[in-house]
Amino acid sequence: MSLSIQPRRTFLKAAGICLALPALESLKAVSAAPKNQPSVPKRMVCVGNEFGMYSDSFFPKEYGADYEFTKLLKPLEAHRKDMTVLSHLDHGQKGGHFAVHTFLTGVKSVEARNMPDGGISLDQRAAEHVGSKTRFPSLTIGSEDGLHGGCQMSWTRTGTRVPPVAGPRQLFHQLFTDNDAQAKKIAKDRIQLQGSILDGVLGDAKSLKLRLNKTDGTKLEEYFSSVRDVEVKLELDSKWQKVPKPKTDLKEPVNQGLSRDLPLIYDLIALALQTDSTRVATLEVGGSFAARDIGINKGYHGLSHHGKVKASIDLLVQIELYQVQQFARFIDKLKSIREPESNGCLLDNTMALMGSGMGNANSHTNNNLPLVLAGGGFKHGEHKQFPKESNRRLPLCNLFVSMLQQFGVETGSFSTSTGTLTGLEMA
Amino acid sequence: MRAILIRSILSLLIVFSVCQCSLMAEDKTTFKSTVSPFLTKYCLDCHNAKKQKGDRRFDEITGVISDDNSLIDMQDILDLLNLHEMPPKESKQPSKDERQIVVQWLTQQITQYHDSRKDFTGESVLRRLNSREYRNTVRDLLHLNVTIFDPTQEFPRDQLTDHLDNNGQVLVTSGHLLAKYLVVAERVVDKALYPLEKPVGQQWAFRDNFKQQPEIDGARKKAHGLKYMNLYDVIGADKHEGAYGPIRAFTEGVPLDGYYDFRIKAEAVNRINPYDADYLGTDPSEPFRLGIVPGNYQVGALHHTQPIEPLLAEIELADEAKWYKVRVWLDAGYTPRFTFVNGLYDSRSLWSRIIKKYPDQFPKLKNGGIGEARNTAIKHSKLPQIHIHEIEIEGPIVERWPTASQQTLLGEDAASILTSGKMTESQMRNALSAFASEAYRRPVQPEEVDRVLSVIKKRQKTGRSDIEAYSDGIKMVLCSPNFLYLEEPNLAKTSDYALATRLSYFLWSSQPDRKLLNLAAANQLHDPLVLQQQLKRMLDDPKSDAFIDGFLGSWLTLRDLGSTPPDRGQFRSFYQYDLGTAMREETRLFTRHLLQENLSIANFLDSDFTFVNKPLAKHYGIPAPKGTGFQKVELTDKRRGGLLGQASVLTVTANGIDTSPVVRGVWLLENILGTPPSPPPPDVEPLDPDVRGAKSIRDQLNKHRENSSCYECHRKIDPLGFALENFDPVGKWRETYNKRVKIDASGELPSGKKFTDIVDLKAILVQQEDLFARSLTSKLLSYATGRHLVPADRPHIDRIVAELKEQNGGFRDLIQLIVLSEPFLQSHTESPLSQIK
Repeated sequence: MSLSIQPRRTFLKAAGICLALPALESLKAVSAAPKNQPSVPKRMVCVGNEFGMYSDSFFPKEYGADYEFTKLLKPLEAHRKDMTVLSHLDHGQKGGHFAVHTFLTGVKSVEARNMPDGGISLDQRAAEHVGSKTRFPSLTIGSEDGLHGGCQMSWTRTGTRVPPVAGPRQLFHQLFTDNDAQAKKIAKDRIQLQGSILDGVLGDAKSLKLRLNKTDGTKLEEYFSSVRDVEVKLELDSKWQKVPKPKTDLKEPVNQGLSRDLPLIYDLIALALQTDSTRVATLEVGGSFAARDIGINKGYHGLSHHGKVKASIDLLVQIELYQVQQFARFIDKLKSIREPESNGCLLDNTMALMGSGMGNANSHTNNNLPLVLAGGGFKHGEHKQFPKESNRRLPLCNLFVSMLQQFGVETGSFSTSTGTLTGLEMA
Repeated sequence: MRAILIRSILSLLIVFSVCQCSLMAEDKTTFKSTVSPFLTKYCLDCHNAKKQKGDRRFDEITGVISDDNSLIDMQDILDLLNLHEMPPKESKQPSKDERQIVVQWLTQQITQYHDSRKDFTGESVLRRLNSREYRNTVRDLLHLNVTIFDPTQEFPRDQLTDHLDNNGQVLVTSGHLLAKYLVVAERVVDKALYPLEKPVGQQWAFRDNFKQQPEIDGARKKAHGLKYMNLYDVIGADKHEGAYGPIRAFTEGVPLDGYYDFRIKAEAVNRINPYDADYLGTDPSEPFRLGIVPGNYQVGALHHTQPIEPLLAEIELADEAKWYKVRVWLDAGYTPRFTFVNGLYDSRSLWSRIIKKYPDQFPKLKNGGIGEARNTAIKHSKLPQIHIHEIEIEGPIVERWPTASQQTLLGEDAASILTSGKMTESQMRNALSAFASEAYRRPVQPEEVDRVLSVIKKRQKTGRSDIEAYSDGIKMVLCSPNFLYLEEPNLAKTSDYALATRLSYFLWSSQPDRKLLNLAAANQLHDPLVLQQQLKRMLDDPKSDAFIDGFLGSWLTLRDLGSTPPDRGQFRSFYQYDLGTAMREETRLFTRHLLQENLSIANFLDSDFTFVNKPLAKHYGIPAPKGTGFQKVELTDKRRGGLLGQASVLTVTANGIDTSPVVRGVWLLENILGTPPSPPPPDVEPLDPDVRGAKSIRDQLNKHRENSSCYECHRKIDPLGFALENFDPVGKWRETYNKRVKIDASGELPSGKKFTDIVDLKAILVQQEDLFARSLTSKLLSYATGRHLVPADRPHIDRIVAELKEQNGGFRDLIQLIVLSEPFLQSHTESPLSQIK
């Protein structure tokens, strides 16, 4: 690794920090820009839940364009032309609850070390591409409670979780609450202090490295690259400190638990996209999602172990239906918002993926994942069936490659992919 | 060289009590004449070029161990032969002599291989502090009270491997984490340093208008005009009402961190009541207990559960109103909230239920809605409750000024620095050197101090005062890799400082204290006698609770207890009596007892005692101890002795809904026997549980086992799990599933040994105590060194196990053997183990 020896300032320049215009100004600039310039940003939203979807009520029986909407897909029926249902895609993972976190990465976190991109998740890969063009390269929303020990959707290159924003209240503050003058001064001072500290500890790290053997020296590289990451972040923070946050009519919300908060969280995500505060958002419907808050007096996890008992399945499907309804409402919303600088709506340039890392919660399997992709400029309208046979199956990561390419990332691979997803075309 | 000789002799003598000093030439002859025919006759049918059961193939074995892969094969064969698990019982069996000769030959080969290798690959990688260690270290370094304050709350969660949370390899550092380190450094330094002026105590008094919770305040107002607080529910209740008594006039909490003196006038009401005690679940024979937990209005509503709410104090109440005094720690911004520790469960539904159950004791309801029921029940019922009439608070109580934290940060001149607000460069240098030496767990180097001073100077230039700028320097120390990473001893140089660090993070999960560092400075710590003295001192220190917690969390996965919450409908008592906490406490106290009394580790497998409080005793169906706390009780019931009868283990191996013999079986193989099964083959359809019919899980699994590729592993896994089926998902004894299907807990181990239930199985496990001893030793060693074990560790583990057996030693002896072992000390000098004998 030669990175740590490279002068840091060079690195920061290379990372494109100085080039980016703050988003709001860039929006203004865009309106004056010539028409042929690609002005409309691409966006990506990924939604995942902990326990999957009951497959008999999720997957349509027919394939192709003429399929009938199942009980769980029904809320999305109005968007038939703008969405695709995908069958028989997965990551070939096993491990039940312990593999759910592979949904957007394709690999288990413990195996991530051996991957070329270190088990980075789809959203974070896209966020890297956005860089400093938006205030938040990405937003990960989820809870730190729950079966899996916190939100498990977004992962960094070094194999650590991206800590989630915990609820609408925090999300609201991040998006809309500007620091007052005093707080701004403190924030500016803090950025300065942290910069000085990083300079100092980097000296410590360099001299520590001299004392270490090769293995330990390699381990310390993590520290060097973390220092670089934070330096980039500080540069970003200090740039965005100067740009006022967008205004909203919304009142500061109170967190009421994920089940009740779900509609509001979706609204805030839509607002974040609309204001170009971020272009990448990830939402985990897990953790604190309490069934009782939507009027079901049984545990969500318990119901997912339905043991094929009809009464349990019915309640489980009710919970899942609620989640799909909220996702459908989100798609409605994206359609209702006009895309600035174009004739279309927000959905045209926003790919929204809903799914799970869990296939069948009753048997704890992680194959044939429930997946719906909407918007984003793909050719939609079908229930697509991919090969079922174990030797011909396609990795879900192929879909992710297609999504990344559509997003503008020049890449031919992601995690365990073997190419783009055949049959999924751009509109 | 001498060490190697002693080692090999020791292993041969102790481990297997044989000493065949044969030459290499003879080995080959033996392989050809004896071992090879043995393999052909008993093993190759299933482990050959074409067929490789259990992914093992032995047709290529040449009789020479050339690398770690062939070592692992040989060790596998040896272990299974010793266990009599192979050849499988349905195949033809070797005679005792045949087996013995091969066992001896294998043992010898393996020992020779270990002795011949020069590279020791078990070296620890540079390891960062995990969250637990960070929290404890910051607590000890800065003398902070961390009852309420958790500096690591926002850290990304640490990665685990084999349930271990302190493995250097997987504890990665990311930008997210470093960004948090920066933020938290600022927070902890501010906490330690401020206020700069000695605070003046304040007084508050609250005597009426006790609003608590919107749902019940209307009814309470009608009943008594909010003259007192009413506590009804325990905090574990679902949709609780009256579980938290916040002081609405004190929402913003105390202004400063510190101890506060409370005077509370409270009263236990309706302890004796006209209702069915089992129905309510409260115990009329014991006093009501009033609890105090912290609350922060910025985190969420004060009448709801918050992420941080440790029990700050607990008071047993008399049945008449009386004044109580208690001193409580509160962080700035936190306000006290009162709770009913042994109160009701789910008052919200109880309001109507109690009226329905005892209709003649209440006025007739008009519409039967929840509002009316609540009004009526709160006014007329005799439900158990706590009333709080008056509260007086005074503080913060400052016992020492400058505080211990300020003294540590600012050095010996702390008092004058605080008064003048000035700090000279030499004062800074002195204080900083002392502080950084403690933080880095070794003497700080002058250039390291210079680097911090240059940050301080930079800060002074931006207009920060001396103290402010200095404190910014301290923040840098807390973000330095010298603080965040434990510099593990490497082979080139073994330093006593590194040893002090390793020892203290093993036994305290925190930094070495002054005594350890002094011994390291004097280069005395590696002396085996000194080490033993320190070990005793450290284990007797309450800080060693961190070892018990940390190790049980990793070994038995107890940290996951509660992460799959038991179903509220089925397991109400779990929530009403806070059984999760009680379960964890039982296993902690049990382990602490083995450590304190140096009792045999066989007690983990089976014991005739345990520790319970009243609710847990009731859960187990054994006589309850007197009093409210935990007590050691003799067990006459053989089903409960040892870890496998403890509800903590039984709950953590279930998912809160149902039990799976496979999950529990795998858990047992991994954590108790140390022989984890291979993962399932890729082409097998997993079990899709179907509970509609009368089929038991055993029927379903039997079907699964008909598949021969499943059978290989499941014959090892399932029987162990079945033996535990009499314990439900929260460890309560049961005879049937759903009161219909009778549970069959019998089974047969791969060795052919049969058992009828858990009592039987435990007897078999105790007979195989060596296997357990090896497993426990491996887990301890891995935890102590913070790394994966490698094949080169095996002879050391075997030696420790043999030594423990020879000494007839207990749990404490085992810890000592670990500390004195080569992998722990990582010295290439002679192992102290051979010196102290």
